[in-house]
Amino acid sequence: MIAWAIARQTVNEALRRRIMWVFLISGVALIFLMPLFGYLTAPKDSQTVLRALGLAAILLAGLFITIVTCIYLIPVEIERRTIYTVLSKPVQRYEFVLGKFLGGFITVAINILFMGVLFIFMLYLQSLKVGLDRGFFACITSGTFAPEMIRGIFMTFFQMLLLAALTIFFSTFTTPIVNFFLSFGIFMVGNLSSVTDSLTTNSNWLVRGTGTVIHYLLPNFGNFNIQNALIHPVAEISNPNEYMRNNIVYALIYSAVLLILAIIVFDRREV
Amino acid sequence: MASNTVRYPQDMTRRLPILASACVALFAASIFMQRLIDPGRQAYHAQENLRTTQAAMGGLNNEFMLLPLLGFREAAAGLLWVRCDEFFHSGDYDAILPLVRLITWLDPHADNVYITGAWHLDYNFTDSSERSDRRYIAPAVGLLKEGIANNNNIPDIKFELGWQDFDKIKDFPGAVEAFKMAIAGPYGDENIFDPAKNHTIPKDQDNEGYWPYAGPLKDIHMLAHAYEKEGRLPDAIATWDHALERSTKLLRDKPKDFGNKSMHDAELHNRAEILQRYYDRYTDLNHDHNNPSKLPAVHAAAANGGGKPGPFDIALRPLIEVPRRYVLKVSGRVNLADGGRIDVRISDWDYKDRVSDKDLRALQPPDLGQTILIDSISIRKDKFAREMDMSKDPKMYSFSNKLGPDKTGLYKIVLSFNTRTTAPHIQDYAGWSGEGLTDAQPGRVFYVSDEAQLATKMIEGEGGKGPVWDGKAVPFPFYGQPPRVIRVTYKINQQQVLGNKPITDADIVPNDPDTTIMLK
Repeated sequence: MIAWAIARQTVNEALRRRIMWVFLISGVALIFLMPLFGYLTAPKDSQTVLRALGLAAILLAGLFITIVTCIYLIPVEIERRTIYTVLSKPVQRYEFVLGKFLGGFITVAINILFMGVLFIFMLYLQSLKVGLDRGFFACITSGTFAPEMIRGIFMTFFQMLLLAALTIFFSTFTTPIVNFFLSFGIFMVGNLSSVTDSLTTNSNWLVRGTGTVIHYLLPNFGNFNIQNALIHPVAEISNPNEYMRNNIVYALIYSAVLLILAIIVFDRREV
Repeated sequence: MASNTVRYPQDMTRRLPILASACVALFAASIFMQRLIDPGRQAYHAQENLRTTQAAMGGLNNEFMLLPLLGFREAAAGLLWVRCDEFFHSGDYDAILPLVRLITWLDPHADNVYITGAWHLDYNFTDSSERSDRRYIAPAVGLLKEGIANNNNIPDIKFELGWQDFDKIKDFPGAVEAFKMAIAGPYGDENIFDPAKNHTIPKDQDNEGYWPYAGPLKDIHMLAHAYEKEGRLPDAIATWDHALERSTKLLRDKPKDFGNKSMHDAELHNRAEILQRYYDRYTDLNHDHNNPSKLPAVHAAAANGGGKPGPFDIALRPLIEVPRRYVLKVSGRVNLADGGRIDVRISDWDYKDRVSDKDLRALQPPDLGQTILIDSISIRKDKFAREMDMSKDPKMYSFSNKLGPDKTGLYKIVLSFNTRTTAPHIQDYAGWSGEGLTDAQPGRVFYVSDEAQLATKMIEGEGGKGPVWDGKAVPFPFYGQPPRVIRVTYKINQQQVLGNKPITDADIVPNDPDTTIMLK
């Protein structure tokens, strides 16, 4: 309950941060601008590009919102010395870390949800088959939803969960600027999981060893990229539900590892 | 005496082993989960590996470089495709190819990019007289085959390969194989396309006769046309029957659909037309008032000219002049009706179509020093003539071959008439495989030895082996009729290309069996 109270307070604070709004507005603007790319010669291509860019806009905005929200959560409390007031009360350090993580992640989730709904609505608008000259009702009911896109948004959600845990972990012992580059860098390397996976079978033992360590030690953010199958619906994937389920479990387990590490480090930190 | 300092509160110290153990256990669990996820991720990100990533990153501009690293490969591919569209509309075809290569590395499931890229390679690289640069054919085929390997369940790319073979290269056996592949789908059976296994095909394509089959009905139509071009009539008729079966079902589902009705009628017409052509061309049966002859048409033309019934002498008499360096004027006479065309192929003596490497790192010809020109000259009033000015396009026609005794270069000019690619009104007396044609100079009647080109034998005595089709057995399992092509081959050297020495009949050599009848 203490962690939940801290989380609620964190959400309130995070939603007041202007920098987060800058990224949210950028993401929303990108989603709104999607139809500008809809002028390609083949209509099928336009749909492909719209879907790719929409999912990318959510992921890009979500990435920056997660990092800029979470890197400040703990350091700001230390810098402003408000942490003394909190920790002088019957609040355990682990509760503080968990509360901060939950608050940060809920903020990110609200943003992703907002952008996701907007994205699906924009795809719906794009799919309208008749014009307003046929009447407003006929026009607005002539479109089709793209429910499969929810899968992509859902995976972005868990990708950001993992990133939030990573950023919170780093924030227990680094400055925000170092944390920004560390989290961003690991996100990039983690996105190359297909490459690191192929390195694990390399014939050179040094490359193979390094690839194996990177592949299993660092969080594999690339696992969550299922956009391709969503953008090209004829690309055949067997058991997509099982794949998603495994990834959700992976995100939860790896986030738990990072949060435990964060708690261990923060327990030992002198504040 | 050493003091026992306690640095951390006791509860923290007590928690540490528990937390550390939990951390190790969970980390092991994460490795286990990752191993479970890896096969699935490989399916989602097939063809996305170190090689394609390196290749794609190496070609990307700074503005796009970050996108794939952040997991936005498809977004980067989409933006590059938007740029391709701009280049396409501005006619800047050279700029499109590297982008096509990058996009298909970034997003190997972008089927339309393979299709459009191959189309650019096939049709949009031309000389100043709009003749295609045939050196790009092999990379185009390679690109489509790569697209098929990456997207086995998408029939469109297979169809495009078939269309390229059918329309551009005139490789009808190749087209047959590609269309069959498109119809069969990824599981080798057009009826196996199980939505329960997530073999998803958008259902709104059912107006093409697609749903619930692996490929659309147009694939079957083109297969039938390819069989007919190849001279395998029983197979063509069986394929029209197959199409009719599907279109009848469609018509039953939507009886008032005009598209379904007209498509069904067209299939019936095409099937009947093949049979009528067969009877007219190869038999003395079922001739109607349009064809009162008592002879098969492939033997009637010679008889109508006062000769014995049999193949008709087209008497190809070519003349090749070199008015200026790298300008060849090909002309001559031939006893063929207007609408026929004489194919001309000018190439290095040892020209080979091939790709630069199996990975298709670059979508360009392997050897820009190779020369090949393929054109066809229309016949008007028994004559044909065209001047081919290759001096304006040295990049396409470098004539830098180094064969010959003094390494100055040897070239091949092949003039040919292939009935499989000619108009139906000429096929009406020439036959599908040229059974009705001959030339007084026997060396000019060239039998193609390629087994894949063998057609159904329709009539005795024109070079075919095995039984003659009875007009009824569908399909007929015997293929014994090779294409009979009227062909003349010249072997010329650099001095002749430069116009320093005339090209005469003395330069005519026996037809080379290695020179393909396909236009590539």
